[in-house]
Amino acid sequence: MSGRHPFTLLALAAALPALAWTLPAPWGPAGTFAVALMLCLPARVARTALFTAAPFWLFLFLLHDRVTAVAIALRLSTMIASFVWLVAILPPARLVEALVAAGYSVHFAFLFAATLSAVPALRARAQRIVDAQRCRGLATRGGPLNRLRALRALALPLVLSALHEVDERALALETRGLSAGARRTPLAPPPDSTAERVVRWALIAGCVAGVVGRVLWRV
Amino acid sequence: MSIRLLALIPVAVAINLALSAAVDAVNLPLFLDTTGTILATALAGPVVGVTTGVLTSLTNSFRNPTYLPFVVVQVLVALYAWFAARAGLFRNLKVAIPAGLGLGILAAAASTPISYKIFGCSTSGGVTLMTLLGRKLGMSEIGACAFSAFVSDFGDKAVTFGLVATVLHALPKRTAARFPLALRSIGAA
Repeated sequence: MSGRHPFTLLALAAALPALAWTLPAPWGPAGTFAVALMLCLPARVARTALFTAAPFWLFLFLLHDRVTAVAIALRLSTMIASFVWLVAILPPARLVEALVAAGYSVHFAFLFAATLSAVPALRARAQRIVDAQRCRGLATRGGPLNRLRALRALALPLVLSALHEVDERALALETRGLSAGARRTPLAPPPDSTAERVVRWALIAGCVAGVVGRVLWRV
Repeated sequence: MSIRLLALIPVAVAINLALSAAVDAVNLPLFLDTTGTILATALAGPVVGVTTGVLTSLTNSFRNPTYLPFVVVQVLVALYAWFAARAGLFRNLKVAIPAGLGLGILAAAASTPISYKIFGCSTSGGVTLMTLLGRKLGMSEIGACAFSAFVSDFGDKAVTFGLVATVLHALPKRTAARFPLALRSIGAA
């Protein structure tokens, strides 16, 4: 499955939750959840999907009657399993290559790739700042005002240091000619086939049919 | 969009997602997950802010897919922050915090239907407890859902606005002047 075109994987991961919400409960969402879980099995993320979904089952049974809780829980579990599967099977770099090959703006591809690399880097820096401030004796406990003061001492250096990076990043991007607006050639564009395009359109048509059916069924 | 504003967006998304480490350290019931969106809007306007908000929801959904439906809230936050920045509401904490409380009401109103229709008000343990408390107090299902959304968002957005105002004032004037809306946000232009 991981060899499929990224757009096909995206379409499948989006279609399953869409169908879960449009098909009548409990059998519609139960079917979509079963499909999503079967996709997760070879990717070895079925357990992650189940552990992520489990708290929602508990919360929903606390809040709603059995029928409503099962319907919502199956829909949410489909959404969770589909996304967990997608993240496990689709490396972001491959998606970026597919976007560039499909003619999307290089700015769009940059935003996606740069965000995915910036988040872990800034999270690591945030943890370093927390450790450094604690070493300096910052009290992170006490009353709410004390904690808010501590929060300021932790958040301010993180945000300011991140903003100071913007100029460096802009300079690096200009050096690489990102502002020129020229179309880029992807190094290894993922192969796409007519069969996969047909599958994608079929998934979209299935979702539309699900919405129409739901509306007519309600009428 | 200029290269500087393009470079600002991933940084602002990362701010949205990295501040949880600071919040965990002080153990306060806050998210601060719209700080980058508000800051990006206050510095560079609504297009950068909305893009930051949408990318934040997308990136967060890779970690936990339940964040994705709340993308609408991020967009509303960016639009509200744009209004606040144009009105100079980040000029001091006395103005910024009430403006943040206003955003808390708006964010709660926007997130309630999403939380109710998609999640059955079960987005987290805290929200579930607050919803249960609302039901015990005799509220309707959607009323209890709105109550829990209000409790989560009200203080969070006020602190976020206060934090953004503090950051904007702490920025060197030379750095601030490189962004189109920064000086106006703090009432200096």
